[in-house]
Amino acid sequence: MTSTFLSFDRVSKSFGTVPVVRETSLTIASKSLVVFLGPSGCGKTTLMRMAGGLDMPSSGTIRLEGIPVSGPGRRTGMVFQSYSSFPWLTVAENIAFGMRYRNDLSHDERVRRVTQYLKLMGLEDFASSYPSRISGGMRQRVAIARTLAAGSDVLLMDEPFGSLDALTREKLQVELRQIQVREEKTIVFVTHDVEEAVFLADRIIMLSARPAKIVSDIDVGSVLGGNRPLDIRESEVFFKLRNEVLHLVRREAGQAT
Amino acid sequence: MHKTADSLPLQRRRGVIGDLLTFRGRAPPFVEIVIGLLAAALLIGIWEIAARAGLIAPQFLPSPSRVVQALWRMLTAEGLLWHAGVSTLRVWIAFLLAAAMAIPIGILMSSYRIVGAALEPTIDFIRYLPVPALVPLSIIWFGVGENTKIFLLWLGTFFQLVLLVADDMRRVPQEYVEIAFTLGAKPRRVLTDVALRAMGPSLVDNLRITLGWCWTYLIIAEIVAADSGLGFVIWSARRYVKTPEVMAGVVAIGIIGLITDQLLRILHRRMFRYL
Repeated sequence: MTSTFLSFDRVSKSFGTVPVVRETSLTIASKSLVVFLGPSGCGKTTLMRMAGGLDMPSSGTIRLEGIPVSGPGRRTGMVFQSYSSFPWLTVAENIAFGMRYRNDLSHDERVRRVTQYLKLMGLEDFASSYPSRISGGMRQRVAIARTLAAGSDVLLMDEPFGSLDALTREKLQVELRQIQVREEKTIVFVTHDVEEAVFLADRIIMLSARPAKIVSDIDVGSVLGGNRPLDIRESEVFFKLRNEVLHLVRREAGQAT
Repeated sequence: MHKTADSLPLQRRRGVIGDLLTFRGRAPPFVEIVIGLLAAALLIGIWEIAARAGLIAPQFLPSPSRVVQALWRMLTAEGLLWHAGVSTLRVWIAFLLAAAMAIPIGILMSSYRIVGAALEPTIDFIRYLPVPALVPLSIIWFGVGENTKIFLLWLGTFFQLVLLVADDMRRVPQEYVEIAFTLGAKPRRVLTDVALRAMGPSLVDNLRITLGWCWTYLIIAEIVAADSGLGFVIWSARRYVKTPEVMAGVVAIGIIGLITDQLLRILHRRMFRYL
Protein backbone atom coordinates (compact mmCIF):
# COMPACT_ATOMS: atom_id res chain seq x y z
CA MET A 1 0.00 0.00 0.00
CA THR A 2 1.31 3.47 -0.86
CA SER A 3 1.54 6.19 1.76
CA THR A 4 0.52 9.85 1.72
CA PHE A 5 3.37 11.80 0.23
CA LEU A 6 2.01 15.23 -0.56
CA SER A 7 -0.92 16.74 1.27
CA PHE A 8 -2.97 19.91 0.89
CA ASP A 9 -4.79 20.92 4.05
CA ARG A 10 -7.53 23.54 3.55
CA VAL A 11 -5.37 25.45 1.13
CA SER A 12 -6.63 28.77 -0.23
CA LYS A 13 -4.89 31.32 -2.41
CA SER A 14 -5.85 34.82 -3.47
CA PHE A 15 -3.99 37.26 -5.68
CA GLY A 16 -4.93 40.62 -4.21
CA THR A 17 -8.68 40.49 -3.83
CA VAL A 18 -9.11 37.76 -6.45
CA PRO A 19 -9.60 34.28 -4.93
CA VAL A 20 -7.88 31.63 -7.08
CA VAL A 21 -7.97 28.49 -4.92
CA ARG A 22 -10.61 27.88 -2.25
CA GLU A 23 -10.24 25.63 0.82
CA THR A 24 -8.74 22.67 -1.00
CA SER A 25 -7.78 19.54 0.87
CA LEU A 26 -6.14 16.65 -0.89
CA THR A 27 -3.66 13.85 -0.28
CA ILE A 28 -1.41 12.40 -2.95
CA ALA A 29 0.14 8.96 -2.55
CA SER A 30 3.80 8.40 -3.31
CA LYS A 31 4.70 6.88 -6.68
CA SER A 32 1.38 7.95 -8.20
CA LEU A 33 0.64 10.15 -11.18
CA VAL A 34 -2.02 12.68 -10.32
CA VAL A 35 -3.46 14.99 -12.94
CA PHE A 36 -5.01 18.36 -12.10
CA LEU A 37 -7.68 18.91 -14.73
CA GLY A 38 -9.96 21.87 -15.14
CA PRO A 39 -11.00 24.71 -17.42
CA SER A 40 -8.40 27.27 -18.47
CA GLY A 41 -7.60 29.81 -15.75
CA CYS A 42 -9.26 27.80 -13.01
CA GLY A 43 -6.25 27.82 -10.69
CA LYS A 44 -4.78 24.36 -11.31
CA THR A 45 -1.32 25.76 -12.07
CA THR A 46 -1.45 27.90 -8.90
CA LEU A 47 -2.28 24.80 -6.89
CA MET A 48 0.70 22.99 -8.37
CA ARG A 49 3.05 25.97 -7.93
CA MET A 50 2.13 26.04 -4.25
CA ALA A 51 3.12 22.38 -4.01
CA GLY A 52 6.50 23.36 -5.45
CA GLY A 53 6.91 26.26 -3.03
CA LEU A 54 6.88 28.79 -5.87
CA ASP A 55 3.73 30.43 -4.50
CA MET A 56 2.70 30.37 -0.86
CA PRO A 57 -0.88 29.65 0.21
CA SER A 58 -2.88 32.54 1.65
CA SER A 59 -4.17 30.06 4.21
CA GLY A 60 -3.80 26.34 4.86
CA THR A 61 -0.72 24.15 4.68
CA ILE A 62 0.94 21.96 2.08
CA ARG A 63 3.13 19.17 3.41
CA LEU A 64 5.67 16.97 1.70
CA GLU A 65 6.13 13.80 3.76
CA GLY A 66 4.67 15.67 6.72
CA ILE A 67 7.01 18.66 6.46
CA PRO A 68 5.35 21.99 5.51
CA VAL A 69 6.49 23.30 2.12
CA SER A 70 8.00 26.71 2.84
CA GLY A 71 9.74 27.45 -0.45
CA PRO A 72 11.16 25.87 -3.60
CA GLY A 73 13.74 23.14 -3.24
CA ARG A 74 15.30 20.12 -4.89
CA ARG A 75 12.63 17.67 -3.76
CA THR A 76 10.01 19.22 -6.04
CA GLY A 77 11.29 19.68 -9.60
CA MET A 78 9.34 21.71 -12.15
CA VAL A 79 8.91 21.01 -15.85
CA PHE A 80 7.35 23.88 -17.81
CA GLN A 81 5.77 24.04 -21.23
CA SER A 82 8.15 26.70 -22.53
CA TYR A 83 11.71 27.70 -21.61
CA SER A 84 12.05 24.17 -20.27
CA SER A 85 15.75 23.74 -21.03
CA PHE A 86 18.64 26.19 -20.75
CA PRO A 87 19.68 27.21 -24.27
CA TRP A 88 23.34 27.92 -23.34
CA LEU A 89 23.93 24.37 -22.12
CA THR A 90 24.19 21.22 -24.21
CA VAL A 91 21.73 18.39 -23.67
CA ALA A 92 24.19 16.56 -21.36
CA GLU A 93 25.00 19.77 -19.46
CA ASN A 94 21.29 20.49 -19.05
CA ILE A 95 20.74 17.03 -17.57
CA ALA A 96 23.69 17.52 -15.23
CA PHE A 97 22.58 21.03 -14.23
CA GLY A 98 20.63 20.21 -11.07
CA MET A 99 23.38 17.98 -9.70
CA ARG A 100 25.74 20.93 -9.29
CA TYR A 101 23.73 21.88 -6.21
CA ARG A 102 24.30 18.52 -4.57
CA ASN A 103 27.45 18.02 -2.57
CA ASP A 104 26.65 14.39 -1.87
CA LEU A 105 27.26 13.19 -5.44
CA SER A 106 30.73 12.31 -6.66
CA HIS A 107 31.89 13.30 -10.11
CA ASP A 108 31.64 9.67 -11.26
CA GLU A 109 28.09 9.43 -9.95
CA ARG A 110 27.13 12.58 -11.83
CA VAL A 111 28.58 11.24 -15.06
CA ARG A 112 26.83 7.92 -14.50
CA ARG A 113 23.48 9.64 -13.98
CA VAL A 114 23.85 11.81 -17.07
CA THR A 115 24.67 8.71 -19.14
CA GLN A 116 21.77 6.82 -17.57
CA TYR A 117 19.19 9.51 -18.30
CA LEU A 118 20.53 10.27 -21.76
CA LYS A 119 19.91 6.59 -22.51
CA LEU A 120 16.54 6.45 -20.75
CA MET A 121 15.30 9.41 -22.78
CA GLY A 122 16.83 8.26 -26.06
CA LEU A 123 19.06 11.32 -26.22
CA GLU A 124 22.50 9.66 -26.45
CA ASP A 125 23.08 10.90 -29.99
CA PHE A 126 22.27 14.48 -28.99
CA ALA A 127 24.36 14.71 -25.81
CA SER A 128 26.50 17.54 -27.15
CA SER A 129 23.73 19.32 -29.06
CA TYR A 130 22.27 22.61 -27.89
CA PRO A 131 18.49 22.81 -27.29
CA SER A 132 18.06 25.10 -30.31
CA ARG A 133 19.25 22.21 -32.53
CA ILE A 134 16.79 19.59 -31.25
CA SER A 135 13.03 19.18 -31.52
CA GLY A 136 10.46 20.46 -29.01
CA GLY A 137 9.75 16.90 -27.86
CA MET A 138 13.44 16.29 -27.19
CA ARG A 139 13.67 19.53 -25.24
CA GLN A 140 10.88 18.30 -22.94
CA ARG A 141 12.71 14.98 -22.54
CA VAL A 142 15.79 16.94 -21.52
CA ALA A 143 13.76 18.81 -18.89
CA ILE A 144 12.34 15.58 -17.47
CA ALA A 145 15.78 13.96 -17.46
CA ARG A 146 17.29 16.98 -15.67
CA THR A 147 14.68 16.78 -12.90
CA LEU A 148 15.12 13.01 -12.51
CA ALA A 149 18.92 13.25 -12.51
CA ALA A 150 18.83 15.92 -9.80
CA GLY A 151 16.96 13.42 -7.63
CA SER A 152 13.68 15.29 -7.24
CA ASP A 153 11.09 13.22 -5.41
CA VAL A 154 8.12 14.91 -7.05
CA LEU A 155 7.87 16.04 -10.66
CA LEU A 156 5.56 19.02 -11.05
CA MET A 157 4.66 19.28 -14.72
CA ASP A 158 2.79 22.33 -15.98
CA GLU A 159 1.26 21.43 -19.35
CA PRO A 160 4.68 20.20 -20.49
CA PHE A 161 3.42 18.72 -23.77
CA GLY A 162 1.06 21.59 -24.58
CA SER A 163 3.07 23.02 -27.45
CA LEU A 164 3.99 19.72 -29.12
CA ASP A 165 2.44 18.15 -32.19
CA ALA A 166 -0.08 15.35 -31.65
CA LEU A 167 2.21 12.41 -32.48
CA THR A 168 5.14 13.62 -30.37
CA ARG A 169 2.73 14.33 -27.58
CA GLU A 170 1.34 10.78 -27.66
CA LYS A 171 4.84 9.33 -27.70
CA LEU A 172 5.93 11.40 -24.71
CA GLN A 173 2.78 10.48 -22.80
CA VAL A 174 3.59 6.78 -23.21
CA GLU A 175 7.21 7.42 -22.21
CA LEU A 176 6.18 9.42 -19.14
CA ARG A 177 3.98 6.57 -17.90
CA GLN A 178 6.85 4.13 -18.37
CA ILE A 179 9.35 6.44 -16.64
CA GLN A 180 7.00 7.01 -13.73
CA VAL A 181 6.66 3.27 -13.17
CA ARG A 182 10.37 2.55 -13.68
CA GLU A 183 11.69 5.44 -11.58
CA GLU A 184 8.92 5.17 -8.99
CA LYS A 185 8.35 8.92 -8.91
CA THR A 186 5.39 10.93 -7.74
CA ILE A 187 4.16 13.14 -10.54
CA VAL A 188 1.68 16.00 -10.44
CA PHE A 189 0.66 16.89 -13.96
CA VAL A 190 -1.41 19.90 -14.99
CA THR A 191 -3.37 19.85 -18.22
CA HIS A 192 -6.65 20.95 -19.71
CA ASP A 193 -6.55 18.15 -22.29
CA VAL A 194 -9.05 15.48 -21.23
CA GLU A 195 -7.59 12.66 -23.33
CA GLU A 196 -4.10 13.36 -22.02
CA ALA A 197 -5.41 13.42 -18.45
CA VAL A 198 -7.24 10.10 -18.78
CA PHE A 199 -4.30 8.39 -20.50
CA LEU A 200 -1.68 9.56 -17.99
CA ALA A 201 -3.45 9.64 -14.65
CA ASP A 202 -3.66 7.17 -11.85
CA ARG A 203 -6.01 9.75 -10.44
CA ILE A 204 -7.66 12.84 -11.90
CA ILE A 205 -8.41 15.75 -9.60
CA MET A 206 -11.13 17.64 -11.38
CA LEU A 207 -11.15 21.32 -10.43
CA SER A 208 -13.99 23.80 -10.66
CA ALA A 209 -13.88 27.10 -12.49
CA ARG A 210 -12.01 29.80 -10.53
CA PRO A 211 -11.72 29.85 -7.57
CA ALA A 212 -10.56 26.25 -7.86
CA LYS A 213 -12.03 23.64 -5.60
CA ILE A 214 -12.15 19.90 -6.10
CA VAL A 215 -15.35 18.85 -7.80
CA SER A 216 -14.41 15.28 -8.54
CA ASP A 217 -11.68 12.80 -7.64
CA ILE A 218 -11.55 10.11 -10.33
CA ASP A 219 -9.65 6.88 -9.73
CA VAL A 220 -8.43 6.17 -13.26
CA GLY A 221 -5.90 3.55 -12.17
CA SER A 222 -8.57 1.11 -10.98
CA VAL A 223 -10.35 1.41 -14.34
CA LEU A 224 -7.45 1.42 -16.81
CA GLY A 225 -4.77 -0.32 -14.74
CA GLY A 226 -1.13 0.70 -14.52
CA ASN A 227 0.05 -0.54 -17.89
CA ARG A 228 -1.05 1.89 -20.63
CA PRO A 229 -0.13 0.89 -24.16
CA LEU A 230 -0.95 3.49 -26.79
CA ASP A 231 -3.87 1.46 -28.19
CA ILE A 232 -5.71 1.65 -24.88
CA ARG A 233 -7.03 4.94 -26.25
CA GLU A 234 -9.10 2.93 -28.74
CA SER A 235 -10.66 0.71 -26.07
CA GLU A 236 -14.27 1.09 -25.04
CA VAL A 237 -13.41 1.55 -21.38
CA PHE A 238 -11.04 4.44 -22.19
CA PHE A 239 -13.59 6.00 -24.51
CA LYS A 240 -16.31 5.80 -21.86
CA LEU A 241 -14.11 7.27 -19.12
CA ARG A 242 -12.92 10.05 -21.41
CA ASN A 243 -16.53 11.00 -22.19
CA GLU A 244 -17.45 11.08 -18.51
CA VAL A 245 -14.51 13.36 -17.71
CA LEU A 246 -15.22 15.51 -20.74
CA HIS A 247 -18.79 15.94 -19.58
CA LEU A 248 -17.53 17.18 -16.20
CA VAL A 249 -15.08 19.59 -17.81
CA ARG A 250 -17.80 20.98 -20.09
CA ARG A 251 -20.02 21.53 -17.11
CA GLU A 252 -17.30 23.42 -15.26
CA ALA A 253 -16.24 25.38 -18.34
CA GLY A 254 -19.89 26.34 -18.86
CA GLN A 255 -19.99 27.76 -15.36
CA ALA A 256 -16.80 29.69 -16.01
CA THR A 257 -18.22 31.56 -19.01
CA MET B 1 -4.36 17.01 -58.03
CA HIS B 2 -2.19 18.02 -55.09
CA LYS B 3 -0.02 21.06 -55.38
CA THR B 4 3.67 20.35 -54.92
CA ALA B 5 5.80 22.56 -52.71
CA ASP B 6 7.38 24.12 -55.81
CA SER B 7 4.02 25.23 -57.17
CA LEU B 8 2.93 27.04 -54.01
CA PRO B 9 3.16 30.83 -54.49
CA LEU B 10 5.29 31.50 -51.40
CA GLN B 11 7.74 28.70 -52.11
CA ARG B 12 8.26 29.28 -55.83
CA ARG B 13 11.90 29.73 -56.83
CA ARG B 14 12.47 33.43 -57.37
CA GLY B 15 16.19 33.90 -57.75
CA VAL B 16 18.33 36.42 -55.87
CA ILE B 17 16.62 39.51 -57.32
CA GLY B 18 13.20 38.06 -56.53
CA ASP B 19 14.29 37.30 -52.97
CA LEU B 20 15.54 40.84 -52.52
CA LEU B 21 12.27 42.34 -53.73
CA THR B 22 10.02 39.97 -51.76
CA PHE B 23 8.29 41.24 -48.64
CA ARG B 24 10.41 39.95 -45.70
CA GLY B 25 12.49 37.94 -48.15
CA ARG B 26 16.00 36.65 -47.46
CA ALA B 27 19.21 37.03 -49.39
CA PRO B 28 22.70 35.49 -49.01
CA PRO B 29 25.01 37.58 -46.75
CA PHE B 30 27.48 38.06 -49.62
CA VAL B 31 24.76 39.62 -51.79
CA GLU B 32 23.78 41.95 -48.95
CA ILE B 33 27.41 43.08 -48.52
CA VAL B 34 27.69 43.77 -52.27
CA ILE B 35 24.44 45.76 -52.22
CA GLY B 36 25.67 47.78 -49.23
CA LEU B 37 28.96 48.59 -50.98
CA LEU B 38 27.19 49.48 -54.24
CA ALA B 39 24.76 51.80 -52.44
CA ALA B 40 27.65 53.54 -50.64
CA ALA B 41 29.58 53.81 -53.94
CA LEU B 42 26.52 55.28 -55.65
CA LEU B 43 26.06 57.88 -52.91
CA ILE B 44 29.74 58.83 -52.99
CA GLY B 45 29.62 58.94 -56.81
CA ILE B 46 26.66 61.34 -56.82
CA TRP B 47 28.39 63.45 -54.17
CA GLU B 48 31.63 63.54 -56.22
CA ILE B 49 29.82 64.52 -59.42
CA ALA B 50 27.78 67.21 -57.63
CA ALA B 51 30.92 68.66 -56.03
CA ARG B 52 32.94 68.63 -59.27
CA ALA B 53 30.06 70.22 -61.19
CA GLY B 54 30.11 73.06 -58.68
CA LEU B 55 26.58 72.35 -57.44
CA ILE B 56 27.81 72.50 -53.83
CA ALA B 57 30.30 75.07 -52.52
CA PRO B 58 33.50 73.17 -51.46
CA GLN B 59 33.76 75.05 -48.16
CA PHE B 60 30.41 73.51 -47.19
CA LEU B 61 30.77 70.06 -48.69
CA PRO B 62 34.11 69.14 -50.28
CA SER B 63 34.19 66.29 -52.79
CA PRO B 64 34.90 62.77 -51.48
CA SER B 65 38.24 62.76 -53.34
CA ARG B 66 39.35 65.89 -51.43
CA VAL B 67 38.24 64.31 -48.16
CA VAL B 68 40.30 61.19 -48.98
CA GLN B 69 43.32 63.38 -49.86
CA ALA B 70 42.94 65.21 -46.54
CA LEU B 71 42.57 61.93 -44.69
CA TRP B 72 45.78 60.56 -46.28
CA ARG B 73 47.71 63.73 -45.51
CA MET B 74 46.49 63.73 -41.89
CA LEU B 75 47.42 60.05 -41.57
CA THR B 76 50.91 60.38 -43.02
CA ALA B 77 51.97 63.85 -41.87
CA GLU B 78 49.71 65.10 -39.09
CA GLY B 79 49.57 62.18 -36.65
CA LEU B 80 45.92 61.28 -37.20
CA LEU B 81 46.59 57.71 -36.00
CA TRP B 82 47.97 59.01 -32.71
CA HIS B 83 44.90 61.23 -32.24
CA ALA B 84 42.67 58.27 -33.10
CA GLY B 85 44.55 56.16 -30.52
CA VAL B 86 44.07 58.80 -27.82
CA SER B 87 40.34 59.06 -28.57
CA THR B 88 39.94 55.28 -28.63
CA LEU B 89 41.66 55.00 -25.26
CA ARG B 90 39.43 57.70 -23.74
CA VAL B 91 36.30 56.09 -25.12
CA TRP B 92 37.26 52.62 -23.86
CA ILE B 93 38.25 53.83 -20.39
CA ALA B 94 34.96 55.70 -20.00
CA PHE B 95 32.98 52.85 -21.52
CA LEU B 96 34.57 50.17 -19.32
CA LEU B 97 34.01 52.33 -16.24
CA ALA B 98 30.38 52.81 -17.22
CA ALA B 99 29.92 49.08 -17.94
CA ALA B 100 31.65 48.01 -14.70
CA MET B 101 29.24 50.20 -12.74
CA ALA B 102 26.09 49.78 -14.83
CA ILE B 103 26.10 45.96 -14.98
CA PRO B 104 25.97 45.27 -11.23
CA ILE B 105 23.70 48.25 -10.51
CA GLY B 106 21.32 47.32 -13.36
CA ILE B 107 21.18 43.71 -12.17
CA LEU B 108 20.48 44.80 -8.59
CA MET B 109 17.80 47.24 -9.78
CA SER B 110 15.75 44.52 -11.43
CA SER B 111 16.54 41.82 -8.86
CA TYR B 112 15.65 43.74 -5.72
CA ARG B 113 12.74 46.16 -5.84
CA ILE B 114 14.22 48.31 -3.08
CA VAL B 115 17.22 49.13 -5.29
CA GLY B 116 15.03 49.65 -8.37
CA ALA B 117 12.57 51.88 -6.54
CA ALA B 118 15.39 53.91 -5.01
CA LEU B 119 17.43 54.48 -8.17
CA GLU B 120 15.03 54.51 -11.12
CA PRO B 121 13.62 58.06 -10.66
CA THR B 122 17.09 59.60 -10.23
CA ILE B 123 18.57 57.71 -13.17
CA ASP B 124 15.60 58.58 -15.36
CA PHE B 125 16.04 62.25 -14.45
CA ILE B 126 19.77 62.36 -15.19
CA ARG B 127 19.34 60.29 -18.36
CA TYR B 128 17.36 63.10 -19.94
CA LEU B 129 19.90 65.83 -19.14
CA PRO B 130 21.85 66.86 -22.24
CA VAL B 131 25.54 66.09 -21.77
CA PRO B 132 26.69 69.46 -23.26
CA ALA B 133 24.73 71.24 -20.52
CA LEU B 134 26.91 69.52 -17.93
CA VAL B 135 30.24 70.60 -19.48
CA PRO B 136 30.58 73.73 -17.28
CA LEU B 137 29.80 71.71 -14.15
CA SER B 138 32.25 68.97 -15.08
CA ILE B 139 35.00 71.60 -15.57
CA ILE B 140 34.24 73.02 -12.11
CA TRP B 141 34.36 69.53 -10.61
CA PHE B 142 37.26 67.98 -12.50
CA GLY B 143 39.18 70.85 -14.10
CA VAL B 144 40.20 70.75 -17.75
CA GLY B 145 42.30 67.57 -17.72
CA GLU B 146 41.59 63.98 -18.72
CA ASN B 147 39.11 63.46 -15.88
CA THR B 148 36.58 65.83 -17.41
CA LYS B 149 36.77 64.10 -20.79
CA ILE B 150 36.36 60.65 -19.24
CA PHE B 151 33.54 61.94 -17.03
CA LEU B 152 31.59 63.39 -19.97
CA LEU B 153 31.97 60.16 -21.98
CA TRP B 154 30.96 58.13 -18.92
CA LEU B 155 27.99 60.42 -18.33
CA GLY B 156 26.67 59.86 -21.85
CA THR B 157 26.93 56.07 -21.47
CA PHE B 158 26.34 55.01 -17.87
CA PHE B 159 22.77 56.20 -17.35
CA GLN B 160 21.58 54.70 -20.62
CA LEU B 161 23.39 51.42 -20.04
CA VAL B 162 22.19 50.89 -16.49
CA LEU B 163 18.56 50.93 -17.59
CA LEU B 164 19.28 48.62 -20.53
CA VAL B 165 21.02 46.15 -18.20
CA ALA B 166 18.09 46.30 -15.77
CA ASP B 167 15.78 45.58 -18.68
CA ASP B 168 17.94 42.65 -19.88
CA MET B 169 17.75 41.16 -16.41
CA ARG B 170 14.01 41.71 -16.22
CA ARG B 171 13.55 39.81 -19.49
CA VAL B 172 15.19 36.62 -18.23
CA PRO B 173 12.30 34.15 -18.36
CA GLN B 174 10.90 33.46 -14.91
CA GLU B 175 10.78 29.77 -15.84
CA TYR B 176 14.59 29.57 -15.91
CA VAL B 177 14.80 31.10 -12.46
CA GLU B 178 12.11 28.83 -11.05
CA ILE B 179 13.64 25.71 -12.60
CA ALA B 180 16.91 26.52 -10.85
CA PHE B 181 15.19 27.14 -7.52
CA THR B 182 13.33 23.83 -7.74
CA LEU B 183 16.62 22.06 -8.44
CA GLY B 184 18.02 23.36 -5.18
CA ALA B 185 19.87 26.53 -6.27
CA LYS B 186 20.23 29.44 -3.84
CA PRO B 187 19.58 33.03 -5.07
CA ARG B 188 23.29 33.83 -5.62
CA ARG B 189 23.74 30.70 -7.75
CA VAL B 190 20.52 31.45 -9.65
CA LEU B 191 22.06 34.82 -10.50
CA THR B 192 25.41 33.44 -11.65
CA ASP B 193 24.32 30.11 -13.14
CA VAL B 194 21.08 31.19 -14.78
CA ALA B 195 20.26 34.89 -14.93
CA LEU B 196 23.68 36.11 -16.09
CA ARG B 197 23.92 33.31 -18.65
CA ALA B 198 20.38 33.94 -19.93
CA MET B 199 20.89 37.69 -20.27
CA GLY B 200 24.36 37.30 -21.83
CA PRO B 201 23.42 37.72 -25.51
CA SER B 202 21.28 40.82 -25.00
CA LEU B 203 23.79 42.28 -22.54
CA VAL B 204 26.66 42.01 -25.04
CA ASP B 205 24.39 43.48 -27.72
CA ASN B 206 23.55 46.43 -25.49
CA LEU B 207 27.22 46.95 -24.62
CA ARG B 208 27.96 47.10 -28.34
CA ILE B 209 25.22 49.67 -28.89
CA THR B 210 26.23 51.86 -25.95
CA LEU B 211 29.87 51.77 -27.01
CA GLY B 212 28.63 53.41 -30.21
CA TRP B 213 26.81 56.04 -28.16
CA CYS B 214 30.01 56.69 -26.20
CA TRP B 215 31.75 57.64 -29.47
CA THR B 216 28.99 60.14 -30.24
CA TYR B 217 29.95 62.13 -27.11
CA LEU B 218 33.62 62.26 -28.13
CA ILE B 219 33.47 65.68 -29.80
CA ILE B 220 31.82 67.23 -26.75
CA ALA B 221 34.43 65.66 -24.48
CA GLU B 222 37.40 66.66 -26.65
CA ILE B 223 36.50 70.30 -27.21
CA VAL B 224 37.10 70.95 -23.51
CA ALA B 225 40.66 72.33 -23.48
CA ALA B 226 41.98 69.34 -25.41
CA ASP B 227 45.21 69.16 -27.37
CA SER B 228 44.74 65.64 -28.67
CA GLY B 229 42.09 63.26 -29.98
CA LEU B 230 39.84 63.19 -33.00
CA GLY B 231 37.42 65.64 -31.41
CA PHE B 232 40.27 68.12 -31.02
CA VAL B 233 41.36 67.54 -34.66
CA ILE B 234 37.83 68.16 -35.96
CA TRP B 235 37.28 71.18 -33.74
CA SER B 236 40.62 72.75 -34.71
CA ALA B 237 39.95 72.23 -38.42
CA ARG B 238 36.52 73.84 -38.04
CA ARG B 239 38.13 76.98 -36.62
CA TYR B 240 39.98 77.52 -39.94
CA VAL B 241 37.06 76.31 -42.10
CA LYS B 242 39.15 73.33 -43.26
CA THR B 243 36.07 71.38 -44.26
CA PRO B 244 37.94 68.43 -45.88
CA GLU B 245 39.89 67.93 -42.62
CA VAL B 246 36.69 68.16 -40.58
CA MET B 247 35.09 65.52 -42.78
CA ALA B 248 38.23 63.36 -42.69
CA GLY B 249 38.06 63.40 -38.88
CA VAL B 250 34.40 62.41 -39.00
CA VAL B 251 35.18 59.62 -41.49
CA ALA B 252 37.97 58.38 -39.17
CA ILE B 253 35.46 58.12 -36.29
CA GLY B 254 33.04 56.29 -38.61
CA ILE B 255 35.73 53.80 -39.67
CA ILE B 256 36.79 53.10 -36.07
CA GLY B 257 33.13 52.67 -35.10
CA LEU B 258 32.48 50.32 -38.01
CA ILE B 259 35.52 48.15 -37.23
CA THR B 260 34.73 48.03 -33.49
CA ASP B 261 31.12 47.14 -34.19
CA GLN B 262 32.07 44.32 -36.55
CA LEU B 263 34.61 42.93 -34.06
CA LEU B 264 32.00 42.95 -31.31
CA ARG B 265 29.50 41.23 -33.60
CA ILE B 266 32.07 38.48 -34.28
CA LEU B 267 32.70 38.21 -30.53
CA HIS B 268 28.94 37.93 -29.94
CA ARG B 269 28.65 35.11 -32.49
CA ARG B 270 31.58 33.25 -30.91
CA MET B 271 30.39 33.70 -27.34
CA PHE B 272 26.84 32.61 -28.08
CA ARG B 273 27.23 29.82 -30.61
CA TYR B 274 24.12 28.13 -29.23
CA LEU B 275 21.76 30.82 -30.54
